[in-house]
Amino acid sequence: MAFNNITLGQYYPVDSEVHKMDPRVKIVLLIAAIVAVFLAQNLMALVPVMVFLALAARLSRVPVKLMIKGLKPLRFILILTFVMNLFFLPGETPLLDLGFAVIKRESVITAVRYSLRLVLLVLFSSLLTLTTAPIALTDGLERLLSPLKVIRFPAHEMAMMMTIALRFIPTLLEEADKIMKAQTARGADFESGNLFKRAKAMVPLLVPLFVSAFRRAGDLAMAMEARCYHGGEGRTRLRVLKCEERDYWACLWVAVLILGVALVNRLF
Amino acid sequence: MLIRLDHVTHTYQPGSPFQATAIRDVTLEIRPGEFLALIGHTGCGKSTLAQHINGLLKPTEGRVLLDGKDIHEKGFSKKELRRAVGLVFQYPEHQLFEETVFKDVAFGPRNLGLAENEIKERVEEALERVGLTDPGIAEKSPFELSGGQMRRAAMAGVLAMRPEVLVLDEPAAGLDPQSREDMLQLISHLHSQGTTVVMISHSMDDVARFADRAVVMEKGAIAMEGAPEEIFRHGERLESMGLDVPSVCRIGMLLRGKGVACPEEMFREDQAYDALLALWKGGKAHGVQ
Ligand SMILES: Nc1ncnc2c1ncn2[C@@H]1O[C@H](COP(=O)(O)OP(=O)(O)O)[C@@H](O)[C@H]1O
Ligand SMILES: [Mg+2]
Repeated sequence: MAFNNITLGQYYPVDSEVHKMDPRVKIVLLIAAIVAVFLAQNLMALVPVMVFLALAARLSRVPVKLMIKGLKPLRFILILTFVMNLFFLPGETPLLDLGFAVIKRESVITAVRYSLRLVLLVLFSSLLTLTTAPIALTDGLERLLSPLKVIRFPAHEMAMMMTIALRFIPTLLEEADKIMKAQTARGADFESGNLFKRAKAMVPLLVPLFVSAFRRAGDLAMAMEARCYHGGEGRTRLRVLKCEERDYWACLWVAVLILGVALVNRLF
Repeated sequence: MLIRLDHVTHTYQPGSPFQATAIRDVTLEIRPGEFLALIGHTGCGKSTLAQHINGLLKPTEGRVLLDGKDIHEKGFSKKELRRAVGLVFQYPEHQLFEETVFKDVAFGPRNLGLAENEIKERVEEALERVGLTDPGIAEKSPFELSGGQMRRAAMAGVLAMRPEVLVLDEPAAGLDPQSREDMLQLISHLHSQGTTVVMISHSMDDVARFADRAVVMEKGAIAMEGAPEEIFRHGERLESMGLDVPSVCRIGMLLRGKGVACPEEMFREDQAYDALLALWKGGKAHGVQ
């Protein structure tokens, strides 16, 4: 049925140097890479970024097809960005006269640059989520945000919430599938009718789903308390995050990337 | 109404890394008026099989035929199929959603497009059948009911569609002994009134007590098929599949092991009662205490 094809999180489990990196470092370096993308002031400056991404993707041993797949949900935004920039950006040198509008050379270049920027942002983020297990990701986020605890930011609680949400999404999808089938057996129709009718048809699915989610949440809270969970205070970890040589190398390469982008900016 | 599964194979999520073949080349006939029990170890494909009977799942290979017509053929009315074949899922109380019990039970008939007075009549009849007759209970929220009552309300939701074939996936699972017995009596009563019943069960005692025919599944395929008496004669084979024989059967085997002339045809409580009473009387006649 409808929910069978959703695989949650896109973690692609293979053994690679990128996979083995410390999740904290990966998150920080993702931010650095995004900075590099925005730093690039012209098309040429994006070339080192693309080269870096290609090398990193190669090293991660994630199939290219899988990375490209991450762009699919964004195709409309991408096309929109491109077309809007193409028609509405100011430019001087006319390139093509379509009759209703004149395409200018400068706007083509800018449209390509903006779209490319978007593509690169998504691909870098995909690289992080493809090579980092969701649990490691939340773990890394918690550690990175923990300095904010001094200003009462609930880093541990937030990470725990994310971990639990990730854990339960497949369970809830399974549950949704089951409930949907049960209502279909009673003659419910989830697939035809107009928008209003379809929204209404969701009620017999959503109500039991919420009831079950609350029941599960109650059970989980009880089970956690029974095992003496009392928040993050004084809690030790099973997997202690550690920076290793490869992490330092990665940092160095990203620094080189940022310098490279800055240099190309100057040159062109 | 004759339902026939013809070499049905079902693979979940084919082509993905999670691909799993749940049932393999299953051929099975569900005869009008019978009480068929479906037994097998957890994960052997019973629920998958059940969902093929009313077309919720489509066979990856093979066909499901209703009176000789393929139910997945174009032009076959799924709505009519879903009316004629009622499927009660495992823990059906988890699908309750309406504000009142009445409205929830009316969900099925309403989907069939029936008139309001017809719906009312069917809902009342269904609630009566499952024994939810306390005054005012129909206007209560289904979430206020007790566990056993919720199960019965969910069951009423299926019965209100007046199915000719009733498929039940572990209908007694997780109920207290009284609710369990009520549920089984209800199913047995429906069967005696002409409904064809297919019941998935882990209780061999219940199978021996109610079923005309039993199908044993192992790893997605049918391993044994026949009257319960036939099936339970192969105690070791069942045990090798992680299954069981009725407790009465076990008592019989233990007694025979001690040299007591206990009859082999002993699967149900009433048979055991007769056999043991006869043994006891015979023993008394010979002066044995
Ligand atoms: N929606 C699904 N997606 C993938 N695999 C499934 C799904 N439902 C059941 N399975 C698998 O199919 C097999 C048979 O399951 P099921 O029919 O529920 O068995 P049973 O009811 O006998 O316990 C199991 O191995 C189960 O893991
Ligand atoms: Mg099952």
